[in-house]
Amino acid sequence: MNALVAVALLGTAALVSFPLRKRLRIAGAISCVAILAATLLLAFSPADATAQALELTFRVTPLGRLASLVLLATLLLLVLDVWFGEPAYNFFPTALGVGASTVGLLSLTSPLAIYAVLLLALLLPVGSFVFQVQRNRSVEAALRHFAFVALGGCLGIASLALAATLPKDQPATTFVLLLVVLVVAFALKLAAIPFHTHAALLVGEAPVAALALYFGVLVPATFLAFAQILTVSGLLPQVVQVQRIQDLLFGIGIVSAIGGSLLALGAADLRRLVVYSVIANLGAAVVGLSTLSGPGIVGGIAIAIVTGACATQQLLAAGALERGALPDETASAARAPLAAAAFIGGGAGMIGLPPLVGFPGHFFVELIAYAYSAAAGTALVLAALLLLVAQLRAGMTLFAAPVDTWQIEPRPVAGIIGGLIFAALLLGGILPDAFLRPIATFADEFIRALRPLT
Amino acid sequence: MALLALIALLTLAANGARQLRFASVAFLAVALTATAIASASSTRMQLAVEAVAALCAAGLLFVAARDGSYGEEPGWRLWGATIVAAAATPAAFASFRTATAEATQVPLFGADPGGVTVQVAAFWLISSGIAILLTARSAVRMSVGALLMITGVQLLVRLATGPQLAPTLLFSWLEVLIALVGAFLVINERVVREA
Repeated sequence: MNALVAVALLGTAALVSFPLRKRLRIAGAISCVAILAATLLLAFSPADATAQALELTFRVTPLGRLASLVLLATLLLLVLDVWFGEPAYNFFPTALGVGASTVGLLSLTSPLAIYAVLLLALLLPVGSFVFQVQRNRSVEAALRHFAFVALGGCLGIASLALAATLPKDQPATTFVLLLVVLVVAFALKLAAIPFHTHAALLVGEAPVAALALYFGVLVPATFLAFAQILTVSGLLPQVVQVQRIQDLLFGIGIVSAIGGSLLALGAADLRRLVVYSVIANLGAAVVGLSTLSGPGIVGGIAIAIVTGACATQQLLAAGALERGALPDETASAARAPLAAAAFIGGGAGMIGLPPLVGFPGHFFVELIAYAYSAAAGTALVLAALLLLVAQLRAGMTLFAAPVDTWQIEPRPVAGIIGGLIFAALLLGGILPDAFLRPIATFADEFIRALRPLT
Repeated sequence: MALLALIALLTLAANGARQLRFASVAFLAVALTATAIASASSTRMQLAVEAVAALCAAGLLFVAARDGSYGEEPGWRLWGATIVAAAATPAAFASFRTATAEATQVPLFGADPGGVTVQVAAFWLISSGIAILLTARSAVRMSVGALLMITGVQLLVRLATGPQLAPTLLFSWLEVLIALVGAFLVINERVVREA
């Protein structure tokens, strides 16, 4: 029931804030209140509570509640950044709409409905990607995002709808084809390599807050939706039977992890470094999921959730550093030391350094990848090392200026938000059970769905 | 069967339209024909919701065009998309034929209880949409391609068992949102071009 109320509340707030979107104070306040109320509703929702609306069942699972709380908290921080830091075009209604869709897709139980809501959520940010259209290529970037989402979304829903109508005695090749289409459809939406070109264009052209909304909230939500759809669609037994699908997922994951890390290593600016790091981490998460094992699933989902929070922290910090830099000057801690510190903190979380909460996820996935094949484990460790070098290099460039030249930024919004996220990552690392237990409950469900008769 | 021929011709018209306004009218005709094809397995309420969504989607693109001349010249893309769709539809039907496993008679006019027409129309629209989307250069043809794809997806979802009301509403919203985003991009793209 609480999830339904939260979705309705956020959706209504999105509609109310749309005509008021240019009045920052009012729209900002409405957004904060709505997101806080929705967060409280979900936090106090009883475990596994169900509700029905329009023939659809909503169920707040432990993982659904955890992910909703993390993603709504991220949205709240983004709204505060846009309100007090850098105003962004069309942001508040978009963020509220994304919040409503995210809570919806994390609590729905029908695969087709989850996919349709995911598609709605991924289309919403287009309104906030486009800005200053005569001075940049943001329209082209938004257009490419639209094409990728429409293509991937329609293909994925079509494959799910077909799978739902297939008689049981189909040849294996039919399921292979459908599952390949489903996996490719998700790879398009996750910007997995080699389907990352739209993300690469977005990075350079879209505003930072909109990028953080996409890579910090929507991309992790897409990964969670993929795992949830596999679980509830009844397709997992076919995945087990047809090894090629598992291999395809594994291959996409490894290529994304290595490719993303290499791209991050060669990234020309901070934004690109963050986005390629996200792609690399999601590659590792896909590897974890593709092992179809408990530690792999727990690790993969943990990586996806933590990566979203770290990406938000780093992207907001990168935006503050860019704004603080003089024309023709690279971003430096001298102009915004708190934002630079937040960037470094986010980098530590992104790599999965202990004692932050990102560590267990990376540890589980790398361990299980070794069990799967030594080459895969080595590839993931190599990807993590490359990412470490890329983040270290960026940190050293940021802090190259002498300390006596540093000037604390007048409005350290990104720095404060970065500090809050870092504290949450640290707290999660100190108390990992609270974070990992709900994911483990989902992993149990996933594994039961693999062999429904046992 | 006659409706299948009609939807193919109307898709060709939407695909080959030089002006966005003409393409939006052709899309409306495609969507209404798709609704008619699915009428045997739908309630009146579902048909009404889908027809209104199609009207809204076409209306949004029509208004976004602002005048009768704005659009994108399809050129060779028209034939490229048509050939791809013509090749992909039978291949997809042969691979994923779920409507019925037995040979069925499809009447020229009237109901098709086996659902063959629904599935062929869905594959045709999806493959046409993919081909248009992949070859489009601007928001005009991308929006038309995405709308054709979602119309095809709606037909496939109709064949799935389970609740019908919620998917009908969800996918109708999705169709309107795709048109809204497409219209938003068309308007912004035009601003860039005219600057």
